[in-house]
Amino acid sequence: MPSRRKDQPGFSRRSFLKTVGAGGVAAGVLAKTPGTAAQGGVNAVGPGAVPITLNINGQTHRLDVEPRVTLLDALRNRLNITGVKRVCDRGSCGACTMIVDGRTIYACSTLAIEMQGKKIRTVDGLTQGTVLHPVQQAFYDHDGLMCGFCTPGFVTAAAALLEKNPNPTPEQARRALDGNICRCGTYVRVLEATLNTGKKGVTRG
Amino acid sequence: MASWPAPGDRALLGKSIKRIDGPDKVAGRAKYTYDIIRPGMLYGRILGSPHPHARIKSIDLSDAQKMPGVKAAIPCVEPGGQAHYQGEEIAAVAATTEEAAEDAIRRIKVDYDVLPHLATVEQAMSADAPQVFEVDAQPRPPGPPAAGAPPPAKVPGNVTKPSLQQEGDVEAALKTAEHIVEGLYQTQVQTHTSLETHGGLCEWDGDKLTAWVSTQGVNAAREGLANALKMPQANVRVITDYMGGGFGSKLGQDVQVLIAAKLAKAANAPVKIMLDRKTEHLVTGNRPSAYAKVRAGADAQGKFVAWDAETWGTGGAGAGAGFPLPYQVYVWPNRRRTHRDVYINAGPQRAFRAPGHPQSCFITEVVVDELADRLKMDPLELRLRNLPEDQPNQQWRKYFPIGAEKIGWNKRHPTGDATAGPIKRGLGCAANRWAGAGNAGTRASCEIMPDGSVVTRIATQDIGTGTRTLVAMITAETMGLPLEAVQTKIGDTNYPFAPGSGGSITVASVSATVRPACEAARDALVAKVAPGLGVEPASLIAKGGRIQSKSDASKSLSWKDACRQLGTASVTGDGAFDRTLATVGTSGVQFADVEVDIETGVTRVKRIVCLQDCGMILDKLTAESQCIGGIIMGTGFALYENRILDRNTALMVNPNMEFYLLPGMSDIPDIDVTLVDQPERGVVGLGEPPVISTAAAIANAVANAVGARIRKLPIAPDTVLAALEQERAGGTL
Repeated sequence: MPSRRKDQPGFSRRSFLKTVGAGGVAAGVLAKTPGTAAQGGVNAVGPGAVPITLNINGQTHRLDVEPRVTLLDALRNRLNITGVKRVCDRGSCGACTMIVDGRTIYACSTLAIEMQGKKIRTVDGLTQGTVLHPVQQAFYDHDGLMCGFCTPGFVTAAAALLEKNPNPTPEQARRALDGNICRCGTYVRVLEATLNTGKKGVTRG
Repeated sequence: MASWPAPGDRALLGKSIKRIDGPDKVAGRAKYTYDIIRPGMLYGRILGSPHPHARIKSIDLSDAQKMPGVKAAIPCVEPGGQAHYQGEEIAAVAATTEEAAEDAIRRIKVDYDVLPHLATVEQAMSADAPQVFEVDAQPRPPGPPAAGAPPPAKVPGNVTKPSLQQEGDVEAALKTAEHIVEGLYQTQVQTHTSLETHGGLCEWDGDKLTAWVSTQGVNAAREGLANALKMPQANVRVITDYMGGGFGSKLGQDVQVLIAAKLAKAANAPVKIMLDRKTEHLVTGNRPSAYAKVRAGADAQGKFVAWDAETWGTGGAGAGAGFPLPYQVYVWPNRRRTHRDVYINAGPQRAFRAPGHPQSCFITEVVVDELADRLKMDPLELRLRNLPEDQPNQQWRKYFPIGAEKIGWNKRHPTGDATAGPIKRGLGCAANRWAGAGNAGTRASCEIMPDGSVVTRIATQDIGTGTRTLVAMITAETMGLPLEAVQTKIGDTNYPFAPGSGGSITVASVSATVRPACEAARDALVAKVAPGLGVEPASLIAKGGRIQSKSDASKSLSWKDACRQLGTASVTGDGAFDRTLATVGTSGVQFADVEVDIETGVTRVKRIVCLQDCGMILDKLTAESQCIGGIIMGTGFALYENRILDRNTALMVNPNMEFYLLPGMSDIPDIDVTLVDQPERGVVGLGEPPVISTAAAIANAVANAVGARIRKLPIAPDTVLAALEQERAGGTL
């Protein structure tokens, strides 16, 4: 039995919210808003589009989305931020991995409207100008990619790991990357790249 | 005639060169079909049949058309037509958002006449099964049908007439056999599970169509679209810049793209359709199952005398399930095999990385190990006694001993690990072969511009194998320039023809065409500058960023200065496939070292040793990645992957990525790849060979560990426990 099916420590990646989004649209979504929070209540929004603000890779984006729209779809379809990929669309492959307030999440199983006020980071933001992030450089150097469709998710998961644990053991790195699936079979070199970046040290967070 | 540079004179070829598109891929900048958004683009969705078999009485699109944001809705099947598997296309809509399209799909009213269905081969083959399909009334003669021949007569049926292949006298030979193994062997249905699902984006400009398609063949996609839409191929342009995996399932024209084109026409706006994961599992192909009842015999010295097999399998609804048998590595002097295709109500098969070979290799290599046990002979020794003489593209006699040394075969125990405790260790091995010849119709062009720019254009596609990088390497090598100084333009039908990326033919086709194109462009440049240098063109070489005389280094020009002499006109070299640069045939072996817990049935692969040749190696780095990737996919086939249909409803129960199990990071063994470079042979493909023998080697290693024969894939815990139980009850050995 593949060990990736073990729950990832620290974060429940199989969000129930996706189910709510797909099946319970008419009910809308309960969202805290500043106005109602002061009165200690909650406010139902939707099902139509509502304005939201997202902080993505240090930039503020204002957009109108239906509450059922996932963070992944908001970025890809509304904002044309397409480094993050949609593969399984139900929190089992990691291609949509983003870092939200320092933790990795499956953006396909996270509602965009719930991510307001949080710091969202994606593979698209790891590069500084044309300079690759050390993790990206290591993936490139070690050929930790083939078709490349899973690569952004792996890069993001590896970057998040190294920010928390700059010198992971192979076992720790495997566990951290067990939430991502590759079909071409790049795992061996993804692991090499991740461990090698760790040895060199990651300075940017 | 073109030639490769001498082995000692290669700046790039044969070295480990990083992918030129690596930075774009790791940074998330690479735009795949899935990522492209065109101005005014709509999102298309397809309604698939919820039933595995139904007649469509009527389709009512009126409510769907009234939904907010919906711009077009079309039927995909006429009333009276049938759906033969879950997910088969019924109707489609295009809307301003994906969510709106999904909502509209739910408002389509279809009146289905639900028909009897077949969920398993056992059901389809049973005497009282409903005859759901049609088969040829007579067995088809071998070979393609004669031109103008009438279509064969059809009769109702689920199982094709047996086709017979034979050589020698199997019955007589088996009478002489000292040892005979008999058994039923089977492999499962595997889905491709490409991470980028099938689909495309279609945009009309008058009567011209541009289609961005996730395809393994831009030219095949163009041909398919033009034929289906009854328009000239010249009016269709297909673009595949980046592509997220296909493994054989994206070689043909895809109905999803055709539906997108029709919706785009109806809505007068670009339409993108990318399948969801569930539909991807259901409709975009799979590796057929294989069943084989085998009798195989050897003489007292361990020479194989005969192979006899009755085989069948299912490729789904009306699709074949052929595979070669026995696997053509070992010499079987007498062979007989009858095969039947069984049709069930499931998505049809498509080519899947080394079609037929992993199944065939598994069945054959497991039988070989069983014969070795009967003979009480080392299975490696038995293999060596039955291999043909080595050829350049058949080096198993050479590779097996090297692999044995690397895996520690001398420490292998006889079948059944006798050590105490539940964890058992075992070793196994298997061989592979593949053809991988280039396509003679391949063309390329290389342009050198007056400012020194170099661009090579070819309508191939990089499906993750590194084709784009190889084209750049060959271009740079030929011009004597660094890799960064040349450009590669691929993945567009506007460039010269190249074949689809299937059958591991791409690297031979492309490299043996790009090289002559680049040589022609370079020679045209050299011819321009030779008079100014006062030398014959033939005495000049392009090397180290200069055009220089072979004999007199003072007679030279920098690349830029040389190109400046072109004035205002570029020079272009056209290349046609030169078969002397390529070759045919690869061989390899793999060894597996596994650990099996006989209490839980869980198998862990500890190590795989791989020896593989692929002729002249172009890029060692990406060639190694190809082998590693094949082994990992083979590990998935061996242990995890299985398309499961509910036996009552024929609906797939695991059309996702948490229950359709692929190997993950913690499942990956230590992988030891030795690439055998054969620079004198020319180039041949490597995409398929490494995936072939992994499952067979693992199955033999598991049997060696647990002391019970593994005759079925995947080797999931229940397979291991059942084999152990059967062994206790009377023997599998």
